[in-house]
Amino acid sequence: MLTNTFSAEDTPSNAAWTILDTEDQWQAFSQPVLNQDIQSSQQLVQSDLLLDGLRCAACSGIIEQGLKSTPGIVSARVSMSKKRAVVVWSPSATLPSKILTAIHDLGYSAFPATQHEDDLVSLQKQRAAFWRWMVSGFCMMQVMMYASPTYFTTPGEISSDILHLLNWASWLLSLPVLLFSSSAFFSNALRDLKQKQISMDLPVALGIIITFIVSSAATFDPSGWWGNTVYFDSLTMFVFFLLSARLVEVKLHRKTLGALDNLASRIPENTERQNPDGTFARVLNTKLKVGDIVRVQIGEAFPADGKIISGNTSVDESLLTGESTPIQKNLHDEVIAGSYNLRKPVCITLNTIGESTKYGQIVNLINNAAVEKPRLSKLADRVARPFLIFVMLSAAIAAALLWNIDHGRALMTAAAVLIVTCPCALSLATPAAMLASASAFVKRGILIKRIQAIENIADVDTIIFDKTGTLTEDHIQIKAIATKAGLTESAALTLAAAVAQHSMHPISRALVNAHKASDLPTPEIELNGIEETSGAGISATINATDASLLEHSGIGNELKLGSAIFCGIAENDSNTQQVYLANKQGWLATFTLQEAIKHNAALAIASLKEAKLAIELLSGDRSSAVENTATQIGISQYQSACSPEDKLLRLQALKREGKKVLMVGDGLNDGPILASAHVSIAMGKGVPLTLAHADYVFLNGDISQIPHLIRHAKQTMKIIKENIAWAIVYNLISIPLAFFGILSAWLAGLGMAVSSLIVVANALRLTKFASPETDTHSDQ
Amino acid sequence: MDILFVLIPLSVIMALVVLGGLWWAIYRGQFEDIEDEGKRILEDDD
Repeated sequence: MLTNTFSAEDTPSNAAWTILDTEDQWQAFSQPVLNQDIQSSQQLVQSDLLLDGLRCAACSGIIEQGLKSTPGIVSARVSMSKKRAVVVWSPSATLPSKILTAIHDLGYSAFPATQHEDDLVSLQKQRAAFWRWMVSGFCMMQVMMYASPTYFTTPGEISSDILHLLNWASWLLSLPVLLFSSSAFFSNALRDLKQKQISMDLPVALGIIITFIVSSAATFDPSGWWGNTVYFDSLTMFVFFLLSARLVEVKLHRKTLGALDNLASRIPENTERQNPDGTFARVLNTKLKVGDIVRVQIGEAFPADGKIISGNTSVDESLLTGESTPIQKNLHDEVIAGSYNLRKPVCITLNTIGESTKYGQIVNLINNAAVEKPRLSKLADRVARPFLIFVMLSAAIAAALLWNIDHGRALMTAAAVLIVTCPCALSLATPAAMLASASAFVKRGILIKRIQAIENIADVDTIIFDKTGTLTEDHIQIKAIATKAGLTESAALTLAAAVAQHSMHPISRALVNAHKASDLPTPEIELNGIEETSGAGISATINATDASLLEHSGIGNELKLGSAIFCGIAENDSNTQQVYLANKQGWLATFTLQEAIKHNAALAIASLKEAKLAIELLSGDRSSAVENTATQIGISQYQSACSPEDKLLRLQALKREGKKVLMVGDGLNDGPILASAHVSIAMGKGVPLTLAHADYVFLNGDISQIPHLIRHAKQTMKIIKENIAWAIVYNLISIPLAFFGILSAWLAGLGMAVSSLIVVANALRLTKFASPETDTHSDQ
Repeated sequence: MDILFVLIPLSVIMALVVLGGLWWAIYRGQFEDIEDEGKRILEDDD
């Protein structure tokens, strides 16, 4: 159907586009494709484009097919809702300017999707859309004013001169509505005709033109066969309703994407970079390179992933990880792009920049999420075309049947049929609901990579959890303390914490945290000669002590905290993780450690069990640790020491039983099962490859969201079905009414606009992540 | 009722003038941030 012959000789329609052809320019909106097939030796590039002129779901198909038939372009995905395209192309075969030209030749326009342009373009478009709507609304009010005398008077009561003048005034004020406000309908209909495509703009444009011609004829020659009735009031009202529906639609999209944009707008524009002579100068972040040394001031965001080379500070990574407490960063610690420097200016050397940073990856996940089209939406697209042909035929038949009775009425009936059948509601039904849900998820720190996953998670019956990092935190806590006779637990902990606070080792931090949590007084212990042996322990000499703590315990002044070998004592239990405190004479205390179970894990599992879901725990960890966790959380079905293959086997067994499995994990070992499960959730702190295979990413790792996520997904599917059913029922009722001339054109316009508004409003209910139990804290 | 012959054309002109005003308002960004401006008047400072 589309015969776009694009050859290498084609020159771009706009010479300015060729500036994008240099590699450093197109890299601003492109990135290399990482997981490409090994067969293709050439490096592929994925570019984001903003599209203009998209009106309906059919447009995305036109662009996708047009681009795919262009040489050098491997794949193209268009998001109708985001008005964005993701194009995968080969730099050796084509150039960005040619891609833009190809889109232009299809009748649309495209821009590189860099953040800055995004904002400007959308602002201009918002204003233009609002202005069109305002013109149609205000003119509608005036035209209604001129039309109202005829509503309340009997024919002949108003003198024909005045009536003529009123019609003239209506005609004048209808002109801006016709020529300006509804110009988009005409240009889109014209483009569709050129492309031999049918979209909903065609019947709308036809309806508007027919109504205007009939009314104009009645204004200028009231004695003609078309009668003396004018329909300017219907016309303006119809355009106003249509534009209102679209304005609301745009508002919905903005609301939905607002959460995503918030993430994208966090990259700072410029940073202080160190010059060769050691001074600092502010440069655009786009000018930064790997290896550059930059100084990040308090309150500024880190421009890229890097390593601290001077100073120490604490950073806020809440945007990227959901971690709300500031994280201490010392010399040589890694910092991530988009996190904020809270305490002291630090210098970092940049390791990773742009799209490959953790931040860039999150942004990419979001882009992929919006581009994926749900299967049901495609169903709506398929329905739209035959539906429209049927509608056009109905209009033609209606006009033909009534033509001999009353020409004017025949045309008005045809107009009514055309107007009433705009498939807006039909094509809006699925994307509106899915996008609204996606926006609700994002507010809760849940990113959806494939938007179809909403459909998938709604019907799961089995959930498999990974343990480490999923059900448990990635830090450890003290489970039990055993002490030598004469030494109290609190004294042992105080001593251990005093030594441990000089180390950043996770176990040391666990000891310090346990001490803080136990509300014990800060020990007045001065330590000298602190020496940390990496991977073994710390030794220190007590200089001055709190007498009450140590006097009668005979501890001496040399302390060792670490492994059994480091402390020179025998290990007594190899099944659990332990750390020992010892002095010159030997053993003082044993601290048994365990992974900290997420505080809401048990609650989440209970809630999932209540929802009649089967729950399993598959872990690669030792059996005792898995058993501990499973019993504490309340999972009866568990398996320990699983290799990735074991996990996959278990999944396949469940699949054979016809189960629909939701996999929740975070580690690299969960990657395969995450990729092959019916639907999967990865924790935001997981490895990139795991995240790439998961359908959902929980940025803050809060598994208590899972029951709500499933409930919300079910609600979304319910609303999509409601929407589609409503769109079909509405059309089934209204077409016969319009056909038999019962429905006048303005009523048809109203009906159509309202049907779209209802679908959108129904979907908007989903932007709030509300569930019965969480109403009290759903606004967090 | 002859005055209508003046008033109706006048109303068309007035409508166009108002539209001009709306155009000015929209493209000066008057409708960009409706909520915050409304709230700002309730704030104590400035």
